[in-house]
Amino acid sequence: MKTTKIYEGSHQWIMFGRDEGKPNNVIDTNQYVVRTANRCLLLDPGGAELFAPMMAAVLHHAPVDQITDLFASHQDPDVISSLGLWDQALTNAKLHAPAIWEGFLRHYSCESIEYVAIPDNGGTIKLESVELQIIPAHYLHSSGNFHIYDPQAKILMSGDVGGAIEGPDAPVFVENFAAHVEKMRYWHQRWMPSNQAKRVWIERVRNLDIDILAPQHGRMFKGDDVKRFLDWFDALQVGIAV
Amino acid sequence: MTNQTKSQFIAVASITSELSAVMVVAKEISLAAANAKAIAFRAGDKAKGFQPITDFINELAKETIELVTNINIYALVLYRLTVDEYQKTVAYNKFELAAKMAEDAPYAKSMQEPVDHARLSMQDCQRQFKRDVSQLLGQLEAVMHHARAARVIAANSRIEASQAGEYLQSLQAVAESVDKAAHTIHDNVQRCRIALSIYRNS
Repeated sequence: MKTTKIYEGSHQWIMFGRDEGKPNNVIDTNQYVVRTANRCLLLDPGGAELFAPMMAAVLHHAPVDQITDLFASHQDPDVISSLGLWDQALTNAKLHAPAIWEGFLRHYSCESIEYVAIPDNGGTIKLESVELQIIPAHYLHSSGNFHIYDPQAKILMSGDVGGAIEGPDAPVFVENFAAHVEKMRYWHQRWMPSNQAKRVWIERVRNLDIDILAPQHGRMFKGDDVKRFLDWFDALQVGIAV
Repeated sequence: MTNQTKSQFIAVASITSELSAVMVVAKEISLAAANAKAIAFRAGDKAKGFQPITDFINELAKETIELVTNINIYALVLYRLTVDEYQKTVAYNKFELAAKMAEDAPYAKSMQEPVDHARLSMQDCQRQFKRDVSQLLGQLEAVMHHARAARVIAANSRIEASQAGEYLQSLQAVAESVDKAAHTIHDNVQRCRIALSIYRNS
């Protein structure tokens, strides 16, 4: 599992991905960890097959008992099918996830972890002195979908938005935006169902001060590439399968 | 999923399937008893000895249905326990793998507690499963006992039927159906016992 620290200040953001032990037939995912002095938040912790490498990677940054919070942007298996395993490993943790998916996500088993249902209009996650904003991103692609914005680190964890299917050796940041566009065109056109939802999200996100846009698949965008991505996405017609 | 786990799932699932067949047969015995009672009533003194037997048959069928109903509930508990054991075993194996992969990590030792806890939970499930299997086998033995009693009653019914003059054939048919049903129950329950016996508490 490749580990990249993407922010270091009063707290840290760490990106995990490009797992070399991943089975070839499952999609590659990026996991993110927000680490404060005594707590740890795992963003989209990944599928069940990824649990062991992910846990092992996190243990380089925090002990198990300081993994206090999980966040699931939506209900997909590549996002959170590891929930049943985290549920058995963590004795004092909360799962922040869309309210509308609670009854569905509990199929993965959620007995000891407390399910904190996020209402449709979002909210915040407080991690010691760090306050993270939960940004609604409904229908991008899931009908109950959220992203996480950190105003201090200026990072937006954008779930499937900005995603692309990449090879195992791909760099973690976009280096040539023009060349990257073709890797994410079909992804957004096919998985994102609603032009209206897309426009509302772009309008909301343009008001945020973002240094890094961090999707759950593919490469992260930094600096001017964030704006380039938003402009490109704005002009893209999505929902092409109908 | 290991072959052992697969066999365990199949064994537990097969109990419900075998017992639903037993339930059908037990209901058939109950019907046969009601039929025999009507025939014995019409036969009057000619089937005097047969009348108390019909009550026995009916009682036996009722008890078998009750037993099987309880066993089915128990089998469901056993199925849930099998699922639980499977999940706990998967977790234990994943935790061990995580601990191994994190050997050089600064916080590797913090994984020991979840590993130990997962191992104990898994072992608890395994012990509970063996205990429950032993109890279920005891209940299945009770059904076998009923099946054996039904066969004895069927033999007595044949003797009594032979005294029933023109009702001989009808009453013999009742005795035959009870005997056949008892056979089926015996065979089905025996298959359940064989499937489960390898998991019993030694």
